[in-house]
Amino acid sequence: MKYLEIEHLKKTFGALTVLKDISLSVEEGEVVSIIGPSGSGKSTLLRCATMLERMDGGSLSYMGERAAWEENGKCVYAPKNDLKRIRKNYGLVFQSFHLFPHYSVLKNITDAPVCVDHVSKAEAAARAEKLLAQLGLEDKKDAYPYQLSGGQQQRVSIARALALQPKILFFDEPTSALDPELTGEVLKVIKELAKEHMTMIIVTHEMQFARELSDRIIFMEDGVIRQQGTPDELFGNPDERVREFIGKFQA
Amino acid sequence: MNVALMVGQLGEGMVITVEIFFLTLLFSLPLGLVISFGRMSKKFLLRTVTKIYISVMRGTPLMLQLIVVYFSPYYVFGMKISSSYRFTAVILAFALNYAAYFAEIYRGGIESMPIGQYEAAQVLGYGRMQTFFKIILPQVVKRILPAVTNETITLVKDTSLAFVLAVVEMFTAAKQIAAKETTILPLMAAGVFYYIFNLAVAAFMEYLEKKLGYYR
Repeated sequence: MKYLEIEHLKKTFGALTVLKDISLSVEEGEVVSIIGPSGSGKSTLLRCATMLERMDGGSLSYMGERAAWEENGKCVYAPKNDLKRIRKNYGLVFQSFHLFPHYSVLKNITDAPVCVDHVSKAEAAARAEKLLAQLGLEDKKDAYPYQLSGGQQQRVSIARALALQPKILFFDEPTSALDPELTGEVLKVIKELAKEHMTMIIVTHEMQFARELSDRIIFMEDGVIRQQGTPDELFGNPDERVREFIGKFQA
Repeated sequence: MNVALMVGQLGEGMVITVEIFFLTLLFSLPLGLVISFGRMSKKFLLRTVTKIYISVMRGTPLMLQLIVVYFSPYYVFGMKISSSYRFTAVILAFALNYAAYFAEIYRGGIESMPIGQYEAAQVLGYGRMQTFFKIILPQVVKRILPAVTNETITLVKDTSLAFVLAVVEMFTAAKQIAAKETTILPLMAAGVFYYIFNLAVAAFMEYLEKKLGYYR
């Protein structure tokens, strides 16, 4: 089943066209990495897919349900209540975590399930404890975000997203704010999720990681998908530009 | 001069001063939040009207505002002003004036919040109200506390302006006794009272800041 389907997505900021004509579909259990130079539109694509940014053209569907589509050349979104339901399909992990600083680790993870999904407090706490154990943070549940390292904060933010039991998890450069050591602990967590066949879409600069983990890698440049394929296809790509880009990161 | 009598007379004024202080905070703190929403509104008309309101409230003397609030029912609506309206007018004018200042403090705090907090809340499915009251406002309160302390301390001293509407708060009482007894002592006593009041305000605000210091 197609978990996510984007067709002919266009996005402009003023006179600047950031995304030109992006079509992308993601199947259940698929892990897709998006790579490409800064300014290529990777993050904007993710922000459009997670509805943090309004699209200017094209369509967006989750689980076959339309969230946005084009009508008379304009992009229209589904009614508010439908969008609310559609949003439950996915979670997003930000580059700079965006944990709620005034909530403890446990509350960061349990609050949305309780207040948004009306899960019982006990159930939410049980879910959180399980996630924290899984992510190696069982002793941190009473800590506050400022007391954690960047890697720990990012793992908490992954737990926070997972607590809502999304079908798809988006990552927007999840390790770009971390040093190499902390990067490792976050990538390890993402790899474990991949093993459990979590559907994931990951914007990243970690080439080796993308290669090991992805079912498909998308190379973006100048607002278009320039190449895509399995890691082997992409890493052995005849396209000069793709090779040049990947080569820089592996050096 | 009988010190006990003086303290007794000052004491009555003190009660009025404390009343003005707390009632003003009670009304101006929430009203300020509402005004700050207007000030940040996307609607041009609402934003402009609030901007002008804040500009006038901050740009004219509170003393004049007290007089305007007191006399406007008569001059604008032709209503008879009863003397019991005096105290109400004081509270009304103080609340309207302080709300303007608080509105700008709230706005500063709200606009200083990183956009990521809103985005994280949105992706997690929080509604607009939930996002504001659960995620944003608690953090804003922590950020604006020092500015609110400043404003609150100014309010303690501003209460003496109620004299223009012949509301006998403490400073008015002190002046009356001073004039009658030809001594400066009651005024000094009033000064000590304002100082102690403000010490208490500052201590309480410091306590709040410490309480919110559990996170960064």
